[in-house]
Amino acid sequence: MVNNDAVGEASDRSIPQSEVLLADDLRKAYGNRPALRGLSFTLQSGRVLGFLGPNGAGKTTAIRILTTILEPDTGSFFVDGVGSDHPERIRRRIGVLPESLGLPRYATALEFLTFFGGLYGLAAGAARSNALVLLQEVGLRKRAKNLIGSYSRGMRQRLGIARSLVNDPAVVFLDEPTLGLDPRGQQDLLELVQRIARERNVGVVLCSHALAEVESICDDVVILSSGHVVAKGSVADVIRQARGNVNQETAVRLQVPAEQLVKAHKLLEALPFVAAVSPQIDRPGWLRVDLDSEPERASDHGNGVLSSLIGASIPIVSFETQGGRLGDVFLQLTEGLGG
Amino acid sequence: MKDERTVGGTGVASAGRARPGWWLMFSREMADLWMGGKALNLVLVFSILLGLVAFVLATNSELSLIPPKEMVFEMVRLSLAASGFICLIIGADSLSGERERATLEGLLLTPASRRQLVIGKFLAAVSPWPAALAISLPYWVLLAQGDEAFAQAALWGSLLGTLVIPALAAIGMLVSYWSNTNRTSMFVSLGIYLVILVPTQLPGSAQAGSIGQLLKKVSPMEATYHFLEKIIVNNRTVNELTAFLFAPIVLAVVTIGGLVWYSAPRLRLEAGRVGQRKARGVGGVTALLLSLVLAGSGAPPANAQPTQIAGQPLDISIDMEFAVVNAGDPVMFNTAISNTSDDRSQPLIVAMNIINLDSQGDVVDPEDWSPQRTQYVGPMVPGQSVDLSWRVNAILDGDYMVYMVLIPEPNGLQATSRPIASSGIHLTVEPFTRLNPGGVLPIVIAIPTLLMAGVGFVMWRQRRRINQEDTE
Repeated sequence: MVNNDAVGEASDRSIPQSEVLLADDLRKAYGNRPALRGLSFTLQSGRVLGFLGPNGAGKTTAIRILTTILEPDTGSFFVDGVGSDHPERIRRRIGVLPESLGLPRYATALEFLTFFGGLYGLAAGAARSNALVLLQEVGLRKRAKNLIGSYSRGMRQRLGIARSLVNDPAVVFLDEPTLGLDPRGQQDLLELVQRIARERNVGVVLCSHALAEVESICDDVVILSSGHVVAKGSVADVIRQARGNVNQETAVRLQVPAEQLVKAHKLLEALPFVAAVSPQIDRPGWLRVDLDSEPERASDHGNGVLSSLIGASIPIVSFETQGGRLGDVFLQLTEGLGG
Repeated sequence: MKDERTVGGTGVASAGRARPGWWLMFSREMADLWMGGKALNLVLVFSILLGLVAFVLATNSELSLIPPKEMVFEMVRLSLAASGFICLIIGADSLSGERERATLEGLLLTPASRRQLVIGKFLAAVSPWPAALAISLPYWVLLAQGDEAFAQAALWGSLLGTLVIPALAAIGMLVSYWSNTNRTSMFVSLGIYLVILVPTQLPGSAQAGSIGQLLKKVSPMEATYHFLEKIIVNNRTVNELTAFLFAPIVLAVVTIGGLVWYSAPRLRLEAGRVGQRKARGVGGVTALLLSLVLAGSGAPPANAQPTQIAGQPLDISIDMEFAVVNAGDPVMFNTAISNTSDDRSQPLIVAMNIINLDSQGDVVDPEDWSPQRTQYVGPMVPGQSVDLSWRVNAILDGDYMVYMVLIPEPNGLQATSRPIASSGIHLTVEPFTRLNPGGVLPIVIAIPTLLMAGVGFVMWRQRRRINQEDTE
C-alpha cells in the first residue's frame, strides 16, 4: 500500500471527505495584468468538472496554480484535505495531463511509467507492476514495450492519462485531452475519463474547448471569462440559470432531411409567428427559426413549428431550443468578454 | 480523503526500497543520451576528430617537426576542449530542451525534489567525459612512444579534465536554466565557451608581462593548458605551478555550486521574464568573473630566482664527458663539488647551462630540458665534497654542450664572487624515434569503427522496439 502523504501526517479534515478539491478566491496577476480574479469552486470525488473559458480567460493560470506550478497572489486551495501551503504533498495527490504533453521518443511506455512511479517513491518492481496495470487500464498493454515515438496521437494521450494516474491521485487534471483526435478517438478517450472518475472515485477537472464533449461527460462546470467566474454548478443548473437570465428563449433549431430542407424553409417562413428562418452554416441540415412572439408564448409557438412540419409530412430529425445547450450558455456568458 | 491507496487502485504493493530521485533522473537521462544516440554520436565525432589529429601529428613526427611530449600535450588539449564542448552542449540542452519538448512540466509535477532532478541531469551531462577519456588514452599512449609524458598526461589530464569539464557542463545547464528555448541556450553557451577559450589563443606577446601572466592564471582554460604544458612538456614540478590550479578549481566550485545550491531549487516551468533573466544572468556571470579575478589575484606569484654573487676557492666536476642519445631519452649524470680551501664556504648555487653547438652557440632554455635548472648547496666545511644528481631530457635532436656553473653566494651587499664553470658534457641528440603514421592507423580506424558498431546496435535495437508486441 502506498501512503500518498510522504511524511505520514494526518490530513486536514476541515473540509468534507468527499470534497477532493476546494478553491477559495484564487487571484493571480502578471505585472499589472490580472489573469485570475477570485476563482472559487469545489469538486467532489467521482465527479467530472468541466473547466471552460475562451482563450486567455485564465484557465491555464488556474490549472497551473491548482497543480502547484504557479503560486497564487492571494487565496488558497485544498486538494484531498491538503492546503496549498504544502505543494509537495499536493503533488502526491494530483495527476495531470498537460495540454502540451511531451513524451520521450526513445523510451517505451513501460519504461516511462516505471520512471514516474519511481519518482513517486515506488520501488522498481512495484513501479513496473503498477505501470503494467495502468497500461492495461488505458488499453496499451500490448504496446507496452514499444518506443513511444512510434505511438499515434490517441495512444500518446492514453499514455498521458496513465501517467496522470501513476500515483493513484485524488484529483486528475486533464487539459484538452481530446485535442487532435479523430471522432472515434475522442469518444474512446471520453469514455475512459468517465470510467476513471467512477471506478477510481477521483475528481476529474477537464479543460476543453469542445463544449459538446464537456456537456456529454461532465457533472459540473466552471466557466471563466477574463479571469472571472461567470457561471458554476452542475451542467443542468448552469444551463437553467443561463436560460433564466433571458427569461425565455425565442428561437428554436431543428434538423430535417437534406432533401426536405428547402420545403421546410418555405413552410416555416410562411407561419405568422415566425420572424426569420436561416440555415445553420456550421451544422448542415439544420435551420434556425426565430419566433416573432413574446417570451411567455415562445413555447406554444415552438410547438406550432413542430406541428406544421409534421402536418406537411416533413420528418424532424432533431429539435432543440436556443439556449438549451451548454455551448449556447457559453457563448451567451462570454459574449463581449474578450480573453 | 484517500489516506492510503493501493497503487493504481489495483492492489500493487510497494515492496522494496525506492530509488532516490537523482538516480532515477540520471538513469533516464543516460538512456536518453546514450540509447537515444545523441551522446553516442557526439563521442563518435570526437573519436574521428581525435584520430585525424593523431594522424596529422604522427605525420609531423615523421618529418621531425614535433617531439612526442608536445604531441601528447596537443592531444590532451584537444581531448579536454572537445569533451568540454560536448558536455557543454548537452548541459545547454538539459533544461531548456525539456521546456521546449514540454516534458519539464511532468517532472515538476512529481514530488521529487528539483535539486535531485538537476543533479541527475548534471551527472548525465558529464557522462561523455569518462567515455571521451577512455577513447583518448590509446591515442596518448601511442603518441607518447613510451615517454613518461603519458603518465603525466594521464594523471593530470584526467584530474584537470574532471575539474574543468563538469564546470563547462554546469555552465551549459545554468544557461539552460535561464533559457526558454534551446536556440537561446546553445547560442549563449557557445558564446561563453568562446570567451573562456579566447585567452588560450592569444599570441605569445600578449601573454607576457604582469597582465599576461595574470590572464593566464585567471582564465580557467588557459591556466589548465599552461599547467598541463609545463608538466607534460617542460618537466616542471607541481609545486611551481600551483597558482595555475586556482582558476579551474574556482570555476568548478562556483559553477557546480551555483547550479546545485542556487538554481536547482528554483527550477521553474518557464525561465522567467526577460528583465529578470537578464539581470540574474548578468549577476551570475559577474559573480563568476569576480570570483575568478579574486582567485587569480590571490594566487601566489611565480617562483622568483634570486641571483647573488660571491666567490671562494671551490671545484666542480662532472662524471660524464659525452653522451649520444635519441631525442626524448633522459640523460642522467652527477656533479661533485669540493671545498678545496681552508675556510668554510658560502652557500652555493649550481646552475645548468645548455648551448646549441649547431647554431653558433644559441642558448637552450634549460627549463624545457630539465626539472633541475639549479640546485642549492649549503655552506661547505673545508675538504667537504657534495654530489648532486642531474637529469636532462633530450628534447630536440642536435649537438649540444651541457655544463654547470658553481656560484657562491655573495658575502655581503658590496661583495661579489667568481662563478666556477665545470667541464662540459658533449651531448649529441639523435632524431627521436619517428612515429610511422601508418602505425597510428589501426587505432585511428578501430575506435571510430567500434563506436559506429555501437551506434548501429542502438539503431537496430530502437527499430526492433517500434513494433515489438508485449507477450508477457
